[in-house]
Amino acid sequence: MKKTPERIELLAAEYVLGSLQGLARRRFERWMMESARVREEVWFWEEKLGHLGNQVDDKAPPASVWRGIEARLWPAKAANAANDSAGNWLWPGWSLVATAAALVLAVILVQQPVPTPDERLSGAIVQADATDPLWLVSGSELDRSLKLRPVAATAAQAGKDYELWIVPQDGQPVSLGVMPVGDTYQVTLDDNTRALLASSRTLAISLEPVGGSPTGAPTGPILHVAKLYEL
Amino acid sequence: MASETSQDELMGLLLAVARKDRQAFQRLYEQISGRMYGLCLKLAKQQDLAEEAVQDAFVQIWHHASEYHNERGAPLSWMMTIARYRTLDLMRSRKARATDGDEHLDKTEDHREGPLDNSLRSASAKALTGCIEELSDVQRDSILLSYYRGFTHDELAVALSSPVGTVKSWVRRGLMALKRCLER
Repeated sequence: MKKTPERIELLAAEYVLGSLQGLARRRFERWMMESARVREEVWFWEEKLGHLGNQVDDKAPPASVWRGIEARLWPAKAANAANDSAGNWLWPGWSLVATAAALVLAVILVQQPVPTPDERLSGAIVQADATDPLWLVSGSELDRSLKLRPVAATAAQAGKDYELWIVPQDGQPVSLGVMPVGDTYQVTLDDNTRALLASSRTLAISLEPVGGSPTGAPTGPILHVAKLYEL
Repeated sequence: MASETSQDELMGLLLAVARKDRQAFQRLYEQISGRMYGLCLKLAKQQDLAEEAVQDAFVQIWHHASEYHNERGAPLSWMMTIARYRTLDLMRSRKARATDGDEHLDKTEDHREGPLDNSLRSASAKALTGCIEELSDVQRDSILLSYYRGFTHDELAVALSSPVGTVKSWVRRGLMALKRCLER
């Protein structure tokens, strides 16, 4: 499509408004990369229509939003902060990290090899802003097992272990044991854990003292939460 | 917040964020997250999606603060734009909004009486409001529903009980009329 001034003018306006969608939107983003003229037109509209955004009432986001930003930008710092308050673990915090994890999940799923027929659940433990998943997850109905294959996962800090959890829809997480890094971690699910995972399809990894949580519930920070998909 | 006087402060914070100053980043968050969340929530009508959009936007702001320059508008509108695009992306990738007709009608009403009647401080904002008032009713509705609710052409067609082609031309002609007016 030719970049006539009229077309640039209209498409830029529609791009900023949001009514330019799908392929046309992606194509226009290419135009923006290629042409300063196009970018300037977009900036004109961003500035003008931006005033509409200023006419919306403020609403303070929940405190968990900021914690989630910190956890994504500075995972180590967020982990330390959570360590300090290990005694009063904040359950709602989980969903946040899950958001970060879910962001890249779709992309990774597409890149996975075709699953063997008996594999029912699949997913990846990912870190926001990282290209490789930390672990690839697959669940097999046939031998009732769940496998986590490390891809980009690195060892836990000294004196710590990673512990894997099922996050049920209601109630406390259920431990699936401490995961060594470096080898594929395979755990056999019993009837209870199978049912929990089948309904919530959510896994989490927390940082715990060596040997795992002493209390049976996560005591350290939740590093990752991942949602699995049925294949 | 968001008055003309605070733009200088936001600019200062943004510059500090570009230098990877975490404290400035937190202050920036404290300053604008309410405005941003309000906008995302108005668009998405879903708390979790709005929260995710705000998080994503701030992660982007942290990484891209150094790319801001004044041709991109005031710092606040630049950051709001990031959040708005992210919200639209999330909405479309999830296709998560309720789309029953009654709700659309409510929102149409809402826009006509809502934000545009608020008093606006800046001259530039006044110019926009004045120009939007000059549009025909259908053009104005189409543009505001697209902006505030992220409606697609199809959704607009349902909301305004008109064919998609007609709605498209309302949006386009409305935008071009708006531009001519803003350039006067």
